[in-house]
Amino acid sequence: MKLKKEFESFFRKIRIDDETHVLKEKRDILQDDIESKLPEILADHGITISKSDIRMIDQGSYKYKTTITADVVDRDVAVIIPLDINDNPDPREIKGYLKDSITIWQRSVSVKEPCVRASYYENGEEWLHIDLPLYADDGGFKYLARGKATSDDYTWEPADPDGLNADLCDKILGHDQLRRIICYIKKWRNEKYAGSSGDHEIPPSIGLTYLACDCFIEQTGSDGDDDLLAFQKTMQGIKDRFVCTCYDGEVLTADISRRLPVEPYSDVFQKMKDSSTSYMVKFYKRLSKAVDNLTNAVNVESPHDAAEYIQKVLGTDFDVPPKEAVTAVTQSKREHSFG
Amino acid sequence: MTAREILESYEEISIESQTGDDFFVFRLYGKTFLLITPNKDDFSSRPRIYLYNDAGFDFPHVLLYDEEVKENTLIPEGTYRSVCLYEPESIVFSVISYEDKLFDAIERLIELLTMSKAEREKEFQKEFMYYWNCGLAGRNAIVFLCQEDNFSKFVLYSNKQDTRFVEEGIVLSDINYRNKGERKWSERVDIEAYYIPVLDNRGILPPYRGRPWTTHNVKDIVYGKQIEHISFDTYQCLKTTQVSTRNMVLVFGMKGEQASITFAVMIKCNNNTRNTRRTILEKIREDAVAVEPIKTKREDYTFLSNIIGNDIGLRGKRALLIGAGSLGSYVAFEIIKNGVSNIKIYDDDILSNENLLRWAYGGLGVGRNKAEHISLLLNIMHPEIKAEGIPKSIDEKELANEVKNFDLVIVTIGNSDTQLKFNRMLNNIGCNIPVLYTWIEAGGEFSHILYVDYSKPGCYECLFTNESGEYVNNRASIAPEIVESNMIRNGCGGTRAAYGTAVLLRTTATLLTTFQKIISGELQGSTLIDITPNSAMNSLTPFPMEACSCCGH
Repeated sequence: MKLKKEFESFFRKIRIDDETHVLKEKRDILQDDIESKLPEILADHGITISKSDIRMIDQGSYKYKTTITADVVDRDVAVIIPLDINDNPDPREIKGYLKDSITIWQRSVSVKEPCVRASYYENGEEWLHIDLPLYADDGGFKYLARGKATSDDYTWEPADPDGLNADLCDKILGHDQLRRIICYIKKWRNEKYAGSSGDHEIPPSIGLTYLACDCFIEQTGSDGDDDLLAFQKTMQGIKDRFVCTCYDGEVLTADISRRLPVEPYSDVFQKMKDSSTSYMVKFYKRLSKAVDNLTNAVNVESPHDAAEYIQKVLGTDFDVPPKEAVTAVTQSKREHSFG
Repeated sequence: MTAREILESYEEISIESQTGDDFFVFRLYGKTFLLITPNKDDFSSRPRIYLYNDAGFDFPHVLLYDEEVKENTLIPEGTYRSVCLYEPESIVFSVISYEDKLFDAIERLIELLTMSKAEREKEFQKEFMYYWNCGLAGRNAIVFLCQEDNFSKFVLYSNKQDTRFVEEGIVLSDINYRNKGERKWSERVDIEAYYIPVLDNRGILPPYRGRPWTTHNVKDIVYGKQIEHISFDTYQCLKTTQVSTRNMVLVFGMKGEQASITFAVMIKCNNNTRNTRRTILEKIREDAVAVEPIKTKREDYTFLSNIIGNDIGLRGKRALLIGAGSLGSYVAFEIIKNGVSNIKIYDDDILSNENLLRWAYGGLGVGRNKAEHISLLLNIMHPEIKAEGIPKSIDEKELANEVKNFDLVIVTIGNSDTQLKFNRMLNNIGCNIPVLYTWIEAGGEFSHILYVDYSKPGCYECLFTNESGEYVNNRASIAPEIVESNMIRNGCGGTRAAYGTAVLLRTTATLLTTFQKIISGELQGSTLIDITPNSAMNSLTPFPMEACSCCGH
């Protein structure tokens, strides 16, 4: 099986199995702050909740073990509080209270459109942010607080954070090859969008994860999992789901949708589409290029040449085995001296 | 092709100077290199490449040592650092043409210089201990571990050159030795030391030029932001273990590609908190002001056994060896060198000059008891070896008691009557450990090993029993007739068979293979092995014998 060892080595390099101790501690401290301060702050504004009413749950890739190494560690922890959204129609205010509860000098706190973000810096550089999406639990129905601090565009959006977690965990946990393929796709995304900074320019992890789950077909051979083939087929499957319009060989528009399987059943790529049509075209073109390289890697005989194609997709962390010709000429059968 | 033509065939290379046909200074990727071509008159010769006048270049396989060249007519004056292009013995240069050697060397250099960050990290980790120890002076840390996976504390002992870091639980036999009344090793209480196993070694690189270790390196291991290098249990130990000394030594262990990597670092702490006991984690995070790498060597028996490729199955096993004659002496040393660190040897015989040439390590000990003398030599080999020599013949009663304390019995006395007695007794008590009987046939050409698993059919007595249940001479014998010609008779009890040492080596080697097969489960039940000058194979002699009055039914 081609490049089996190299894919194993690559996955070992990029995978993050679990939170580090420092992350756990930061998260615990954050949780303590929220539990101890948020009820008081809310009480000052006529909202009564107790410490035990606050529920915080892991979200995102740490939950279903598809986190990969990155320059900035990104954690998602949902904060769920009991709240009547009719009495408190402005989610920006509640997000502001959450922000106040965690604002201390050790962290920089800001209100983002879907969450409150606590960022941590060392030597002037951000190394960790913990995103805290805030949910109102109103009579058993959950609503995500959306809207930037000063934006007029805000809403309590119906949501199902537990259902989303359960769905993704069910799809991914215990399916190791799929988990690895999701990590490869995220690594590809990080490589190809390393210089991108525009809002919603980058395909969201949740979208890539769901597309991977949809298009993945397990590939195994007599000597184990064939990650190269599984990766190529999954990426090809994602590409095939695009609907494009072309003129004179040029892609003019590209569209792909993936709706969440739970409330609010929204398209995870909608914000990307709304931001700029060029983002989806760029996404499609980059994906197509990756598929071409992966297909070449599958088709060439030489592991060296195949790995060079893979490097174009996954970057230089992917090992390239030596050229066979060099190996044959110079690497004689090994002998040992009697040391 | 000439060397010049080969260099010129690469677009990336520009030749700066040439001396004769053998010395080329060239530029590649902004660096200057010296190429010394292979000697055409020596077909085993290899090309050599040196980095020229570049002290700051930190790259895997560019050696750290500078070689100063002055007043040399062949190559420019300056500083050279050797570029290590070949793993030892990876290439048989004699079978490669002059041109291919040069092409290969240049390709290797280009590959080296174009490595990705991840590849460089991998290469640095491969040579971790070289970089760690390179250029370090001062006292060596000699580390003895009995395990690699869990946090632990060391007891420290020093002599004039070294400090031994001995994991709690390991007993070193030489730690109390005295020389003219002075202790060889003194326990150190001025500093505490701890072992920290690293589970994930990503990003952990040794210090090298321009990148010395600082407290950040240590903090990143125990308190990594993104990658968890240590286990939760280890982290908890760091959080709860209090240190009573101002400074401390941390010994990190991690799995390398081929062998375990172990390196020690002194954590120098400020004295603000000298009156309060601080945890290891607090000291690392808050008190550490500097780190000093310590030249480190790991020398515990397990590690030394691992790096020579020993079968791990024998490790920790306790062996009872009955007989310290010629074969027993070889077997004793070899099983110790193969992983059995605990052995007890019985023999009442005295080593004489006539024994020396077919006795392992025969140069010493004439006039001493063989069992005691072997034990002495084994204990000197490594301080974790526990060898005990009993200067007497073991009898059946003692053997019955001893088998309870061991994992393996090897009988190397070669006396059929005694072996038959032992065999019957071991069968009667239902011995539940492997027993290996060994003997050399008269004539000294053929030998045998009988592995007996007393829970299954087959025992030593089967070989002396025919199908009718009658006693016969050993049926395993290969030699067609009784050989008398090489018996040396020098009095009653002093008969010596002149069989040289080759048969001893053959039998010992087969015995080691047999151990491995027993432990791996490849040998299922009692097995007879015939050893000839040409082969060692399972015997065709009918075995077990159903009519055997000892084990038969």
